Amino acid sequence: MKFYIDNLPIVFPYDRIYPEQYAYMCDLKRTLDATGHCVLEMPSGTGKTVSLLSLIVSYQQFYPTRRKLVYCSRTVPEIEKALAELKRLMTYRLANAETEEQKEKERSYTGLGLTSRKNLCINPDVAKEKKGNVVDARCRDLTNSAACEKGRADPGSVPLCEWHENLGKLEQGNQIASGIWTLADIIEHGREKGICPYFAVRRMMPFVDVIIYSFHYLLDPKVADQVSKELSKDAIVVFDEAHNIDNVCIESLSIDLTRPMLDSATRSIGKIGERIEEIKTTDAAKLQDEYAKLVEGLQEAAEQRDTDDFMTNPLLPDDLLNEAVPGNIRKAEHFVAFLKWFVEYLKTRMRVLHVVAETPLSFLQHLKDITYIERRPLRFCAERLQSLVRTLELSRLDEHAALQKVATFATLVSTYERGFLLILEPFETDNATVPNPMFHFTCLDPSLAIKPVFERFSSVVITSGTISPLDMYPKMLQFTPVVQETYPMTLTRNSFLPLVITRGSDQVAISSRFEVRNDPAVVRNFGSILVEYSKIVPDGIVAFFPSYLYMESIVAAWNDMGILNEVWKNKLIFVETPDANETSIALENYRKACDNGRGAVLLSVARGKVSEGIDFDHNYGRAVIMFGVPYQYTESRILKARLEYLRDAYRIRESEFLGFDAMRNAAQCVGRVLRGKTDWGLMVFADKRFARADKRAKLPRWINQYITETASSLSTDMAITLSKLFMRTISQNPNENQTGVSLWTLEDVEKAQAKQRALALEAEQGHEDEAMDEDDEYGDGGISDNAIMEVDLDI
Amino acid sequence: MPPRKDADYMDIDSESDASIPDDDYGVGKSKGKSRAKAGDRRKDKGKAKAKENQPYTWEASYARSWETVQEDEAGSLQTSVEELLARGRRRRLLAPAAAVRRTIIRHLILLLDLSMSMLDRDMRPTRFDLMLQYAREFIVEWFDQNPLGQMGVVGMRAGLGERICEMSGNPQDVLKAISERHKLEPAGEPSLQNSIEMARSSMSHLPTHSSREILIIFGSLTTCDPGNIHDTLDSCVKNRIRVSVVALAAEMKICRELCDKTGGQFGVALNEGHFKDLLFELVPPPTQRALTRAAGAGISNPAADLMMMGFPTRLPDASPPSLCVCHSEMKSEGFLCPRCQAKICEAPTDCDICGLLIVSSPHLARSYHHLFPVKPYEAVMTLENGETAAPECHACSRPFPTSTSTTAGEGLSPVGRYRCLECRNEFCSDCDVFIHDVVHCCPGCGK
Repeated sequence: MKFYIDNLPIVFPYDRIYPEQYAYMCDLKRTLDATGHCVLEMPSGTGKTVSLLSLIVSYQQFYPTRRKLVYCSRTVPEIEKALAELKRLMTYRLANAETEEQKEKERSYTGLGLTSRKNLCINPDVAKEKKGNVVDARCRDLTNSAACEKGRADPGSVPLCEWHENLGKLEQGNQIASGIWTLADIIEHGREKGICPYFAVRRMMPFVDVIIYSFHYLLDPKVADQVSKELSKDAIVVFDEAHNIDNVCIESLSIDLTRPMLDSATRSIGKIGERIEEIKTTDAAKLQDEYAKLVEGLQEAAEQRDTDDFMTNPLLPDDLLNEAVPGNIRKAEHFVAFLKWFVEYLKTRMRVLHVVAETPLSFLQHLKDITYIERRPLRFCAERLQSLVRTLELSRLDEHAALQKVATFATLVSTYERGFLLILEPFETDNATVPNPMFHFTCLDPSLAIKPVFERFSSVVITSGTISPLDMYPKMLQFTPVVQETYPMTLTRNSFLPLVITRGSDQVAISSRFEVRNDPAVVRNFGSILVEYSKIVPDGIVAFFPSYLYMESIVAAWNDMGILNEVWKNKLIFVETPDANETSIALENYRKACDNGRGAVLLSVARGKVSEGIDFDHNYGRAVIMFGVPYQYTESRILKARLEYLRDAYRIRESEFLGFDAMRNAAQCVGRVLRGKTDWGLMVFADKRFARADKRAKLPRWINQYITETASSLSTDMAITLSKLFMRTISQNPNENQTGVSLWTLEDVEKAQAKQRALALEAEQGHEDEAMDEDDEYGDGGISDNAIMEVDLDI
Repeated sequence: MPPRKDADYMDIDSESDASIPDDDYGVGKSKGKSRAKAGDRRKDKGKAKAKENQPYTWEASYARSWETVQEDEAGSLQTSVEELLARGRRRRLLAPAAAVRRTIIRHLILLLDLSMSMLDRDMRPTRFDLMLQYAREFIVEWFDQNPLGQMGVVGMRAGLGERICEMSGNPQDVLKAISERHKLEPAGEPSLQNSIEMARSSMSHLPTHSSREILIIFGSLTTCDPGNIHDTLDSCVKNRIRVSVVALAAEMKICRELCDKTGGQFGVALNEGHFKDLLFELVPPPTQRALTRAAGAGISNPAADLMMMGFPTRLPDASPPSLCVCHSEMKSEGFLCPRCQAKICEAPTDCDICGLLIVSSPHLARSYHHLFPVKPYEAVMTLENGETAAPECHACSRPFPTSTSTTAGEGLSPVGRYRCLECRNEFCSDCDVFIHDVVHCCPGCGK
C-alpha cells in the first residue's frame, strides 16, 4: 500500500498496517526531518524492521540528497532477516513504481550486509578454519598489500587468494551490481564470479544506499576506524535491538588480561625479536626505512596503510595523536625491549594477592616509578606495533593476539584518564585459594564509545522492543533525543497475560533476595510454581533465573525435594549452560519436544545466550516464568566501579541503575515469548519485588498496560486459576477480524490522518493565543498516543 | 448481574460492608428501616452495585451460571430463555444453506483420554466422569443421526492405546463397553501416537466410500510417544482419516496440527456446557473435503460413485434358531444377507461372508436429512396483514401469542412466528426448534 505522511509518499510492502507501525513511522520521519536523534520502543513482533526500512527507503528515494542508511543489528541471523525484509520491500517498490524513471531509481538502489570474514569467506583453504580470528589472520596473510605486491610482481612466490585478486581487477564501485544482496546472495554471487564477497562488500561500502551490519562495526573503535570511516556525515544510523547498547559500548573499550595471555605475549616478543635480528642481517635497509618514516610522523604511515588491517588503533578518532612516534621506541629493537619491560611489569603486578583498584593515572605513576616507562611512548604502543608488524611482514597474526592486546591496553591506559578503572582480581571467586589473577581494564562510561557516532552522524535512531525507561538511555549515552516514544500494542484480544506472583500457595512471600533466596520455603514455592505451570501449560515453558550460580543451587535443591520428578511427569527438562554447543543441542531438543507434543521446560539464565538472541514464538514458548528479579551480581567490583562512576558523573543513583538494568533484562526475557500478533503466551513474574510500583513502571508500556490491579500481586494458586482461564479463552479459534482495530487498511490510515488533522486544528483553535512554540516543539506529522487511542475507539 | 437474592440484601451490604451479620435486634431494625427508605432507589442501586460486585479473580473458575440469566422488569425469566433460544437460532442461520456433499456411511473411532490428567476437577465432577457422561450422550445422539455409521472406542492410558470397543454398528455395544467405569480408571500418561495408530489400523480395511474419522477427547497436555508422531500424522493424511480433537485444557500445537492437516475440527472447552457443544458439533456428518475430492476419484466426478447395498430380510422372532455368521451363536432372530443368505445378527453392517454392505431402508431414510436439511425458517418481524395470518401454529395448533415481545434479537421474531420459505406456513418457536433439531422435515411442505 502507498500512503502519505505529510508530503512524503510511503510505500509499505503489505496491504495492511498496524496502527503502531504507522505511529512509529510518523515519529521516525519527524526525527529525520529534524536531523536529530531518537529513542523508540515498539513491541516485539509488530514489524519494527519493516516499518523502519520502508520509511527510510521512502525518505531516501523521495529526497534528492539520498542520505545513506546505516542499519546496525546484533546478530548475523538478524542482519540476514533485515536484508531479506529489505529485499522484499524493494521488489514491492519496483513492482509498484509508476514511471520508468522511478523504476530506474528503484533499480539503482543498492543495499548490502557486512559480517565477519568467517561468515563470508569462500576460499576453501581459509574458510575451513573454525575460529574467527584464525580466518582473519589467514585472510590477511593472503591479501595484505605487501604480499599482493610481491605476488603480482613475481607470481607464485607467495600464496595469494585468487578470489581477492579477481576482485582487484574489477572497477572500483562496480564490484557488485546494484540491488539488494542478502549475505547468502553475495556468497553465491562470489562463488559464481570468483570474487571475494567480503572485500567486495567492503569496497562497495562508499557506493551503497543501505549497509546493514553489526553494532561493533560502528561502536568498536578498533573496527570502526577501518570499516565505517568513509560514511558520510548525513547518514541515518539505526541501532536495532539496542537495549544493550551501553554494554556493547563498554565492552568495546574494555580489556581483560590474564597470566597466560601475558606469557603468550612474552613469547611473541621473543619471536619478534628473533625476526628483527634476522631481518637485520638480510634486509637492514627496511628497518632503517621504517625508522625514517616514523620520524616523519604517523600520518604518512597511515596513508600507505590502504586496506591492510593488521591490527588497529583502539582509540576513538578524536583521541588519535598526530605527532611523531617518540624516539625511544622508534628503533625496532628498542621497541621490543620496551614491550618486554612493560609485560614484565604487568606480570609483577599480577603477583599481588589482594584486590587492587586504581585509576589509570595512579597506574601510570606507579609504572613510571618502577620501570621509568613514560606515558607518551605508551600511547604509541599500538600504532608502533602495527608498523613493526607490517615492516617485518609477519604472518599468522592470530598467534600474536595476546601481544596486540597488551599493546592496545598500553595505548588505552595512557590515553584515557576519566571513565576508566583498573582492577586486579587475584582470585576468580571469593573462596578460591589458587590464584588466577585477572587484570581488568574497564570502561565505566558507555557514552565514550558512542560519542563519536552521535557527533558524526546527524540522525541516530535507537530502537528496540524493550528499551524502557526511555529517559535512561539519553542520560547514560549523553545525547538529547528529538523524539522519545513508546508505543502500546493494539490487540483485538489480549494475546498475553502478565502475572506477578508474590507469594506461594502457603502465603510465604517469594523473592530471590540474597537473604532469603536459599530459604527452603522460597525454593519450594518456586518449585511449585514450575510444577503447577508444567501441568497446565501446553508445549514449551521457558524459565529464567537471575544467574547460573543461583540456577545451579536451586535446581540441585529441587532435585532433592523431588520437584524435578514432578515436572518430569508433565514435561522434559532442558538446561542452558555457559557452553554454547551444549546449549544449542539442548535448544534443538527442546524445540523437538515442543513440536511433537511431549512438552518441555527450558531452564535458562537472564542475560544468557537464550535470553538475548533466541525467539520462543508460538508453541516454543507458551509461558515464560521469571524466577526472581535478574539483578546483576552486585558484589562485582567492576559493577561497583561503574555504579560509582554513574553516580558521580551523571547523577544516576545506584539503585536506579540496578533496578533499570534488572527490569530491562526481565522485559527482554519475557518478551521472547511473544513474537507476533497471532502469538500468545503467559508472562509470569515470580518475585514479590515485581509488585512494587517503581519496578513495574520500568517495564515497557506494552507489557505494563496489561498488568491489571488484580494480577499485580497473586499467590500461586490464584495465578494458576487465572492462567487456566486465559489459556482456555485464548485457545478458542480466533475468528474476529482484526482489520480496522489492530490492522489498518489504506482507508483506515487516511481516516486516522483526517482525524488527527481535525484534532490538531481543534488544539490550534483551543490555544490560538499561546500556542506559538507548540509547533516547533512537536514538529509536524507526529501523532500523539492519545490521538491514536481516540481513533481506535472510533473505529 | 445479581440474582434476586442479591438485590434483597443489597442495602445491607451497602450499609455495613465489613460487619459480620449478627442477630442483634437493633441492627436488624435499622436494616429494615433503611430498606424501606431505599425502596425506590433499589433498582438502580442494585445495578451500580453489580458493576462493583465483580467476582474475585480466584473465583473465576466457578461457574456462576445464575449470573448469565437476567430477569426482566417483571422479574420473570422469560426473556432470558428467549434470548438463549435466539442464540441457538442465530447459529443455525449461519449454517450453509446450499446442498453439500456429506458422507453418510461413517466410521468413527472415539479416542478417550484415560490419563491421570483426567482426574482434574476443573470440570465438575471430574473431567473423567464428565467425559464418560458426555461420551454416552454423544454415542446415542451419533447413532441416532448416523444410523449407517459404525463406531469403535479406544482409550489411551499409561502410554498405550487400549481397544475398549470394536467397530460396531450397534449403539448398545458401544455404550456397554464404556459403561463400566472401574475398567476405565485413569492411569499414567497418554500416548497420542500409539492410540492413533491403533485407531488407524482398525480402520485400514474400510472401503473408500465411507468416511474414516477419529475423535479425540484430550484432557492432557502432553503425549508420550514411542516414535515420531509426525509420521503418524502423515499416514493419517494419506489414509484420509479425519482427526478431530476436543481438548479440555489448552491448545497444543500437535493437536491443532493434527486437525488442520487432516481437515478435522479443533476445539478447546471453556466449561462443561461448551465441552458438550464442541462434542455435539461433531455429530452431523462432515461435509466432504475438497481435498478428498481432488485426491479421490480424480478424473471422474465422485458424484457418479455407485455403492452396492443389500437390504436384508428380517427373520421373525419365531423362526427356528440357527447359527449366525458373526458370533456363531444359536439365535432365532436376525437378518439374512440378500446375496449369500448368511445370517447376521444386526444391521447395518458388512456381510462377513460376501462383504456386501447391509442396511435397512429406514436407516437410509434417516440419513437422508443431512443431505437436504430443512431450510431455516425466517422470523416474521411484523404482522403486516393481521387478518390473513394464521391464528395458530401450523404444526402444534397452539394459538400464537397476541402480544408483541419487546426483546428482538437477530433471527428472533417479536411476534413468535417463524415462516417456512417453501410453503409459507407459520410455526411457533418451539416447533421451529423441534422441526430443525429432531424431525428434520417440514410438516407444511414435507420437504
